Amino acid sequence: MCVGLPAKVVSIKNGTAIVDASGARREVSAELLDELDPGDYVMVHAGIAIAKITSDDKEETVSVMDQL
Amino acid sequence: MTNTTEKMNQSLQEARDIITGYRGPKLRIMEVCGTHTHEIFRLGIRQLLPESIELISGPGCPVCVTPTDFIDEAIWLATEKQVTICTFGDLVRVPGTTQNLGEARAAGANVQVVYTPLDAVTYAAEHPSEAVAFLSVGFETTTPAACLAVKRAMAQGLTNFSLLTANKTMDQAYLAMADACDAYLYPGHVCAIAGTALPEQLVHTHGISGVATGFTASELLTALAVIIRKQAAGKPFFVNCYPRVVTHEGSPAAQKLVRTLMEPCDAEWRGLGTIPQSGLQLRADYGQFDARVKYQIPAMHGHGNPACRCGDICRANARRPIARSLAKSAILSTRSVPAWCPMKVPAPHSISMEGISDVHRS
Ligand code: SF4
Repeated sequence: MCVGLPAKVVSIKNGTAIVDASGARREVSAELLDELDPGDYVMVHAGIAIAKITSDDKEETVSVMDQL
Repeated sequence: MTNTTEKMNQSLQEARDIITGYRGPKLRIMEVCGTHTHEIFRLGIRQLLPESIELISGPGCPVCVTPTDFIDEAIWLATEKQVTICTFGDLVRVPGTTQNLGEARAAGANVQVVYTPLDAVTYAAEHPSEAVAFLSVGFETTTPAACLAVKRAMAQGLTNFSLLTANKTMDQAYLAMADACDAYLYPGHVCAIAGTALPEQLVHTHGISGVATGFTASELLTALAVIIRKQAAGKPFFVNCYPRVVTHEGSPAAQKLVRTLMEPCDAEWRGLGTIPQSGLQLRADYGQFDARVKYQIPAMHGHGNPACRCGDICRANARRPIARSLAKSAILSTRSVPAWCPMKVPAPHSISMEGISDVHRS
């Protein structure tokens, strides 16, 4: 139940988004995020998109290590 | 190989060198989140660690900290009040005092496994003749979904939907376990909702150090390297090592939603006992969605399952430093945990530098 699933937003309508998580499509609630567009990446948890994902973990690793 | 990949491999190699080359004083790092425990074990990260780094597994699995009484309440609802129980699958095999939900189902209880609390609302709408209760467990990350479910049920005018709550917040637990470690790996998705104000503040008010981190191999390695470097500087610290998901303010929409529907209450954590104000219950205004209020559930006096080890481990970690070698993952890697343990993981595979980004790599 606790595993977050990164997924790509395929479409969005009335607070509900269709997302693609590694090829599997599912409907999730997008009510907690404003300004979500198709193509954005989100973290999905228990059927709701809890946060936008703003970059790849590759870029993140580079930036965190650079700041060290 | 693209430039980014090359640069990332360098950064990752650097992180790995910092970890494997660590020869400083004993460093105790607690992964608060059960999914971190799981991923660290699965990815074989423990094998990389020098002896002086000890990873301690916290009580961060919502299933594990859910007391026996809660399962007993759910079974009472199902058997005495014929309420349909909707639950995350992980809870089905968790033992109550005499039965688990799976056994209750075999004996005739209606127990439905759902992926999200929103599915429980859909079930209630589609089955108007049934009374439906969703077993609402989880930390900051999961609670907003349960609150959305209540809002949705309200909007649809459903009177046959309720929550049996055992939701918990991490704030008090961070304080309760602080002595057990030198730094926390803060749970990334709890921080995604709650933000990082609290961990930042704990640096100043209690000298508690830690980093917020994600769940991929590179994120976990980076986080460990950051802890080692920062700890060496000798001052308490907080670093957000998961900035692609976690922000300082977290999710204001989720925080507001939860504040509107729920209020803090004392909560029992299996193994740790009652931590004041560490739970959440529905506010009185939402009493018609609160299964305890609606069905007048009597007080339960359940007994914990003796096969379940994490209570001992967290207690040992928190109060008896000597017993810390009983690190949860070490135990979880053996067969000594109960069959239903959601944290049971397959044998670790060793980590390679390739292919460790997560699925949405572009
Ligand atoms: S042994 Fe497994 S199920 Fe029991 S508390 Fe620990 S992780 Fe949870």
